[in-house]
Amino acid sequence: MRWIALQACTTEPGAPLPDQALVQSQLASLALAFTPRVALLDEAVVMDVTASLRLFGGLQRLLRLLTQRLTDFFASNHTLAVVNKACGATSLVALGKLRLATLSRAGELPMHTLSAARPHLDVLERTGCRTWNDLLQLPRDGMARRFGASLLAALDRARGAVPDTYSWLVLPEQFEEKLELGALLTHGPSLMVGVERLLPSLQAWLVGRQRGLCELQLTWHMDPRRDTPPTGSVVVRTDQPAQDLRHITALVAEHLAQQTLAAPVHSLTLQSLVSEPLVNATAATPSLLIEDRQTGGSALALVERLSARLGSDCVQVWRPCADHRPEQMQSWVPAQSALAFMAGPTLDKRAKQPIRMVCDALYPSWLLPEPLALRSISNSPVYQGRLKRVAGPQRLESCGWLMNSEGLAQPLAQRARPPAIRDYFIYRSEQAGLLWVYSERLAADEATATAHRPQQRAWFLHGFFA
Amino acid sequence: MTVPFHTPIAPPRRTAAPDIASVWRASELSDERLPTLDTGYADLNRELPGGGWPQGALIEILQPQAGQHEWGLLAPVLAALQMAKSCTAATQNAKTLLVLTGAPYLPFGPALRARQLAMHRVLSVRTNAGNAPALLWATREALQCADVAAVLAWLPDARSAHLRRLQIAAHTHNKLLFVFRPLRAQHESSPAPLRLLLEGQASVRSENGEGADVQVQVLKRRGPPLASPLHLATRPARLSALLLASRERVRQRRQDDAAAVPVVPAAMAYPIPSHEATHALDRTTSLHH
Repeated sequence: MRWIALQACTTEPGAPLPDQALVQSQLASLALAFTPRVALLDEAVVMDVTASLRLFGGLQRLLRLLTQRLTDFFASNHTLAVVNKACGATSLVALGKLRLATLSRAGELPMHTLSAARPHLDVLERTGCRTWNDLLQLPRDGMARRFGASLLAALDRARGAVPDTYSWLVLPEQFEEKLELGALLTHGPSLMVGVERLLPSLQAWLVGRQRGLCELQLTWHMDPRRDTPPTGSVVVRTDQPAQDLRHITALVAEHLAQQTLAAPVHSLTLQSLVSEPLVNATAATPSLLIEDRQTGGSALALVERLSARLGSDCVQVWRPCADHRPEQMQSWVPAQSALAFMAGPTLDKRAKQPIRMVCDALYPSWLLPEPLALRSISNSPVYQGRLKRVAGPQRLESCGWLMNSEGLAQPLAQRARPPAIRDYFIYRSEQAGLLWVYSERLAADEATATAHRPQQRAWFLHGFFA
Repeated sequence: MTVPFHTPIAPPRRTAAPDIASVWRASELSDERLPTLDTGYADLNRELPGGGWPQGALIEILQPQAGQHEWGLLAPVLAALQMAKSCTAATQNAKTLLVLTGAPYLPFGPALRARQLAMHRVLSVRTNAGNAPALLWATREALQCADVAAVLAWLPDARSAHLRRLQIAAHTHNKLLFVFRPLRAQHESSPAPLRLLLEGQASVRSENGEGADVQVQVLKRRGPPLASPLHLATRPARLSALLLASRERVRQRRQDDAAAVPVVPAAMAYPIPSHEATHALDRTTSLHH
């Protein structure tokens, strides 16, 4: 049997942590990543790692990993704490060694390290019982009469004579924690103070459940005396489940920066809405190779952060479309909805056949979002001065069944944009280089147009050869 | 004691500067061992310190109008960068992201794919007009991202202090960063170690006979100022063949009008690519065969 007892304390001896209970529960959550048998015992956390030794490659490796993970956790949450650890064959031996803080054999542990003996320390001292071994020398029935059954039971448990079981700590299915803010906050970004106090517990919960967070909800409770809804909330989601909450924190900060609070806020609730199990997260150790260490965030984190602040419409990726009309050949879609496409076109298994992506050097490299109507002088277009025709025409025709959904049901003549014939030309401008210009003739009223204004054509600028 | 006014001041004796590798003379190009990337244009490589675009430095490109000739100048290096990173990196798509902030128009995928750019690894950030701080912030965030290979930023309203921050970010994260600014920024101070002036050129033939369409003037570099601007032919081969063909056709028509004798010019010998011509304009080039 192998037990580890853990206790967090400040770097200065004797000074208690400001929120000891909170840190203890966080420690227990972190310990749950290593074994399901974790219990809170007095001021410490005890964990039974007997069954986990093989997975983690022995006690020494497990201890090293535990130390590293705890250090990382406290460092990332700006908590100045050191964690004391002690190992023992039973939970009480481990706890006793933790309390003594110096190396000692189990039998020679002093009496005050056993919790059950603490009420009787004076009597035990006077009878000459200083160590656990001394207590074992005493007759059992007399001891039970004098000190009560609890000391005897504790001693049996410490010796391993009775099973060493507790009511094991179980983390809830969903994380939810409420925090009373010390003051009334009126400014959206200032809520981050509270969020930063809640997030370490969420992270400990994630580590303990071995899950990565996908979606969380932050709810703020507002002053009920105002004539406003009592709560407001924001939902933050990320595409890649993560235990490291730095990215989530940045996203929450971006969302809060855009919030205006209707009334002063007195408390916050943090809930995890969606989380996913992380495969093999427990035994994984970070790589020590320099190449594998990332110096910045991933592309995914970049997209999500930019979308959170600027709005998802402002961050776009390219999407090809199977169409022969230039403005329909591609679309720039919000990147957040197209993260799978960015990972690579081959990964998209839903597409039955890959879109044949048009690739042609004779297209312009910039396309105008909307074709720009050009003035014309003597039937030739003008853009920043006279233009000189270089090449063309290339005729593109859009048939009725290819048109957009705009009013397909209407008869041909009443549509907002009837099918058009476009002749594309390349023009040269002295200032603006090569231009992609088309002249449009509307097929529906071609006859009327030619009848009335036979020479006039509408000219549009559609792109630049850059 | 009086000092005569007309005492000729002895010219400083020209001492041979010590031939030390770490001493950079102002009359030479700096050969500081910066990581540089091939520009794809031999003429340009020759004039840039280190023989290419410096990585981890702000490269400032001034233009009379935004949206002109950028792709022609930058497509070779961007394509090579995306290609190299996707080959060397363990995972296929790592570190090949190309971020455009404040692009003046929509980049047109079919044409850029013809220039070998991986369009599915291009991220475009556009903001409402006039939101310059957001663009600067997005540019800096992109520079900090590990997956980004290069950042192209159109920042017409950026000031020198802003650019300095971008330069520091590019240097820290060792990213290729191009910032496009209007011509009026020419007389402002800039923290960029390399400043270029990029202008279009209406069909001037350079010495090697190629139709150069872009004129690059090096405004600032680690080295002596460049006397005469460079002329680069940045258009794709098919497009320049098309332009050449149409020019020859006009010339031929003029000759036909004058002499009525058909002449097949030698320049028509441009090999048409064997793949299926998807573009009607290609017919112009093949007409004369």
